[in-house]
Amino acid sequence: MSIYSSVASNTMPNRVLPVLGCLALALVWLLDLGVIQPNRIVPGTGHGLISAVGGPWAGLVSLVLAGCVLLSFLPLRRRYLPLLGLVGLSLALLPLLLEVFAGRHLPEDAPYARSSIGAGFWCLLFLLSLMLIEILGRLGSGRGLQLMILAVIVGSWLWILRGGGLESLSLVREFNARPDKFEQALWTHLALAFGAVGISAGLAFLLALKMIRSVAWRRPILGAVSFLQTIPSLAVFGLLIAPLSALAAAFPALQAMGIRGIGWAPALLALVAYSLLPMVRNTFVALTEVPESLADAGRGMGMNERQLFFKLKLPLALPVIVEGVRITTIQAIGLTAVAALIGAGGFGSFIFQGLGQAAMDLVLLGALPTIALALLADALLTMLAASLKPTPATA
Amino acid sequence: MIELKNVTRRFGDAVAVDRINLTVETGEVCVLVGSSGCGKSTTLRMINQLLPHSEGQILVDGNDVTAMNPEQLRLNMGYVIQGTGLFPHWTVARNIAMVPQLLKWPRERIDERVHELLTLLDLDQATHANKYPQQLSGGQAQRVGVARALAANPNILLMDEPFGALDAITRENLQLEMLRIQSQLRKTTVFVTHDIDEALRLATRIAVMDQGRIIQHDTPENILRRPASVFVENLVGKQDRGLKLMSLHTVRDLMEAPPQPREPEPGADGLKEDDSLRVALSIMLWQNWSQVPVFNADGQETGTITRDRIIQEGA
Repeated sequence: MSIYSSVASNTMPNRVLPVLGCLALALVWLLDLGVIQPNRIVPGTGHGLISAVGGPWAGLVSLVLAGCVLLSFLPLRRRYLPLLGLVGLSLALLPLLLEVFAGRHLPEDAPYARSSIGAGFWCLLFLLSLMLIEILGRLGSGRGLQLMILAVIVGSWLWILRGGGLESLSLVREFNARPDKFEQALWTHLALAFGAVGISAGLAFLLALKMIRSVAWRRPILGAVSFLQTIPSLAVFGLLIAPLSALAAAFPALQAMGIRGIGWAPALLALVAYSLLPMVRNTFVALTEVPESLADAGRGMGMNERQLFFKLKLPLALPVIVEGVRITTIQAIGLTAVAALIGAGGFGSFIFQGLGQAAMDLVLLGALPTIALALLADALLTMLAASLKPTPATA
Repeated sequence: MIELKNVTRRFGDAVAVDRINLTVETGEVCVLVGSSGCGKSTTLRMINQLLPHSEGQILVDGNDVTAMNPEQLRLNMGYVIQGTGLFPHWTVARNIAMVPQLLKWPRERIDERVHELLTLLDLDQATHANKYPQQLSGGQAQRVGVARALAANPNILLMDEPFGALDAITRENLQLEMLRIQSQLRKTTVFVTHDIDEALRLATRIAVMDQGRIIQHDTPENILRRPASVFVENLVGKQDRGLKLMSLHTVRDLMEAPPQPREPEPGADGLKEDDSLRVALSIMLWQNWSQVPVFNADGQETGTITRDRIIQEGA
């Protein structure tokens, strides 16, 4: 980020924002902004920008995007602040477009009719987000500002959602049809993903310690966890069904714990197996890359091996270890969606149900929260890793 | 006092240190000098048992080091290494406080000691105490390294090429600093270097090592005047031996002092009592002076020195 925030580059014309802005302008006019479906299954009719929200709103959208493009061309030193306001406000108020769209087009006498989000809207959302990221980068903003803007945008979305104008949105309908299941899926998803990450973190730590203590174990352990990673995830889920069923049949105690060939047990096992490689590798590399001269100095000053580990090696390795946890967590959140195939629950169950029923908005109801969880975990763990970096950059 | 008796260290079949005998008296600076791979660092690291010796006996103040707990042994020995070995995630103050913390000193005593050491090593408390090692220059970092080694007031100081990675000017400053500190603290010091000038400057006695053996163990003056072998003769340099001898003595040794020091005439040029004869001669040749007044640290004129006398008696 620092190379973007240098003072000299601030007055240079920005090349990224005009491209993104023009692209957004083109796509929002070319693609359908929204779709009206007579019922859940039948394909709907798409509406372009003008048809969807009418002239004044279409004009406003075009004006805002054109304004962003123009502003980014100006060689002003302080242009990124108004740009930030413009793009941030647009993002925060974006759902209003859907509300206007539904209000204009939804027939009042058709209770099964629903509106869904069109490609144009998705593109607009995506490109505006990219513009926001670019602007925040140029401003060299701190974590605090970034979090605040994110909170404002999400808060505004929730507020618009509360207002009830989006009731007809099929995504909202799919949610309203199963709020309990959604909440349950959320907790199952979190429990599976974070349970797997927690278990594999502990396991990986022990394995990495074993690898450090004895050179003979290095190749076998790394080989084994790499091998686990190479098996296709679906195959692991499938392969675990038979042995776990057999185990559960042989030991009633296991069955009482809920361990069966399908469900959370094989899912958790597979997720742990997948999480091991990045965890073991990062932990091992982080701990072994602590310079020997530092360990030598510590030892020479009278530290014992235990003190060396806790006062020197672990603190220096921690940011890299957390980086491993971050990669693993994102991967596990995604894989947990697949684990729904063997009955583990979580957001994946909506995705597979939706695919089965050809109801794309049900798929979205599973996919969007999965993506949001992954992004959130990514942001939080990146922050954690940054705060653990104990030293400032070299002065 | 440190005594090495018939100490041998093998790595596999290779003999790194071969039956050496060495005694370092209390308060003296013993410099181990030799080319790389001669076994000088190995010797140093055997004293604090970072490397166990294969044969022989190492005594510290009469006690066999193998009979002691190695951590306990090292806590009583300051240790300074070439790359400083400062912990990058600790501030300067915390790095210096390392050994006192391991020894579980009370907080206030540690703070007081850190302050004392920063002052001793000419580091400013306000600007340096809360910096991280990467924010320091090489010379400052090594000062902190020395401060860390002195923190718990150990009797013994082990220094493994501490100034080797520094530029010539910084190295010379730190050498002078070390002489000053040593004159105050009188630690029993074992100092490893490959730089013969550094050895001549700092040592009470020099042990010249080659291929795992000690070739000669003597005072700098004797090493220069009576090298025990061709190897030592080459090491100290045949041609500028005279000048090197001059650098072992100070102006104070050869100046003619009047009974009373007096205030100098304003603006008068001269030498300091602590300047080496080599520096004195160099200045006098350059300025074409045949005699120069000498000043003490307070700026009083305490005598004069003549070029003829330096040439006759200096080396």
